[in-house]
Amino acid sequence: MLEVNNLNTCYDFLHVLWDVSLVINEGEYVCLIGPNGAGKSTVLKSIAGLIEIKSGEIFFKGISIGDKKGDQICRMGISLVSEEMNLFTGMTVMENLSMGAYTIRGKKKKEALMNFVFELFPRLAERRIQLAGTLSGGERKMLAIGRSLMSDPSLLLVDEPSLGLAPRVVDTVFQALEVLNKKGVTIFLVEQNVTKTLQVVDRGYVLERGKIVLEGSRVELSRNEHIRKIYLGV
Amino acid sequence: MICGGLSNVGEAIVMEPVIVRFFRWLKSSAGITILVTLVIAAYAAMDQGAYVIINILVTGGMWALMAMGLTLMFGVMNISNFAHGEYFMIGTLVAYYVFTPLHQHLESHPNHLLTLVAPVIAVFSAFVVGGMSGILTDRLVFYPLRKRSKENWLMNCFLLTLGISVILINAHQLIFGTQYKGIVRYWPLPPVSLFGVYISIDRLFASVLAIVTIAIFWVFMKYTKVGQALRAVSQDETGALMVGISVDNIQLLAMIMSCALAAMAGGSLLFMYPSYPTVGLEPLYNSWFVIIIVGFGNIAGAAAGGFMIALLQILTRVYVGEGWEYVIPVLLIALVLIVKPNGLFGSKVRGIWEK
Repeated sequence: MLEVNNLNTCYDFLHVLWDVSLVINEGEYVCLIGPNGAGKSTVLKSIAGLIEIKSGEIFFKGISIGDKKGDQICRMGISLVSEEMNLFTGMTVMENLSMGAYTIRGKKKKEALMNFVFELFPRLAERRIQLAGTLSGGERKMLAIGRSLMSDPSLLLVDEPSLGLAPRVVDTVFQALEVLNKKGVTIFLVEQNVTKTLQVVDRGYVLERGKIVLEGSRVELSRNEHIRKIYLGV
Repeated sequence: MICGGLSNVGEAIVMEPVIVRFFRWLKSSAGITILVTLVIAAYAAMDQGAYVIINILVTGGMWALMAMGLTLMFGVMNISNFAHGEYFMIGTLVAYYVFTPLHQHLESHPNHLLTLVAPVIAVFSAFVVGGMSGILTDRLVFYPLRKRSKENWLMNCFLLTLGISVILINAHQLIFGTQYKGIVRYWPLPPVSLFGVYISIDRLFASVLAIVTIAIFWVFMKYTKVGQALRAVSQDETGALMVGISVDNIQLLAMIMSCALAAMAGGSLLFMYPSYPTVGLEPLYNSWFVIIIVGFGNIAGAAAGGFMIALLQILTRVYVGEGWEYVIPVLLIALVLIVKPNGLFGSKVRGIWEK
């Protein structure tokens, strides 16, 4: 479904990603793990078209999207939940969700999607007329995921959903992602919480200093000596 | 049950009745300000006659249009536009050069319908040309800058808009000269009597046009999809890109609307402000007064603030004396900035540019 070939990305003079290649198949739940500053978020932002890539190719459903802008990529069915969430803080929860459905035509479909999001996160339904800027961290994360779902994506890119959240809320978010994956949404997850991540995903990549150093299935990764030593601390 | 552990934390939403919310709004700084403004306006109208109200509506409506454009541009593109007055100047210029030939033609061939419609044509062409100059400015100046670098954006834009202002003022002087290009009035009709006051048709038209435009603009921003996209871009540009809004097009639209509103204000006030190179400075200062007093990025506040500034200036002119009408607003700005640095209508939720 998504194929990234030899992706290179720079911030001005700082070369962050070095020949990153990865493949995500339809319906899979794939994670990208790695230490701080390895460039994990940069991979997601490059795919979502938020930063320009220097070289390399990105194919989504066979179409090259490497030179497309963020809004066009969103229209093709890739939705990003960014680390800083980028919510519309001055709008209510409902308005945020309906902005998420900006590319969706048809009122009925919009309503169905919104009901689905409220079913997934009943907490948001309680807060529907509250301004997004006044929500708690966990609620914001739920709203960010909910807003991404409103564009009815086939590929969901999720950046650090557990960052700064209470363990209970992290569970909620992870459960929601699993429900989505069972519903057929392909998920590409970037996470630092390796223990938790390796319990849920199908497959994973390890990114260190801008290069993919390891890839494999969940079982392979959790048995790998390097992973056990560095990330799991066993 | 997905969120089992969480549901006990939240409290149910209680929708408050409108009256309660209205009274709470009245207690906010915005409510107090508007209430005080209305009381002062009513007192002035009783003391000096109803013409005060009409003057407030005419000039205030126009400052409101200017300030709304200014705040829209600041919100959506993060540009503090110091060339906004020059789009007012473009409006007066276009209205003059459209209306004068029509007027001369009418003197030799009298035609009732055209007499009525000619001013509307003039104001409308000012609106259109203003919008087109907005497109030109965006594509020639701000679009290339956005593509190249977003570093130091606010300062760069401040310098650029000052440059645009100087260029446009001098271009006007070079091409059209420095003489006043004005008209006595748009409609050769007797003034109408309203509540015992005689109001010229020109003033009536300008105030009605301003109020109608403000209403249309508000509905557009609140209820249409494009208006919501404008608000979304002003709150979080990256977020807007992520939900599939074409940020480039929305920013171009904001520029067009902002410039078109300023030019329309210029066109419809041609009978008060004849066109000359620096005619835009006074409206520019006034709209900045409005923006600073009500707070940045608040469109409804900008509309209300326009009328407040107009009231303040007219009252100063009446009770304190001519020449003080710039001193008092500046003093008030200083006071507001000390007491409420976010402006009178400033919201509690911060936009992206304040982070």
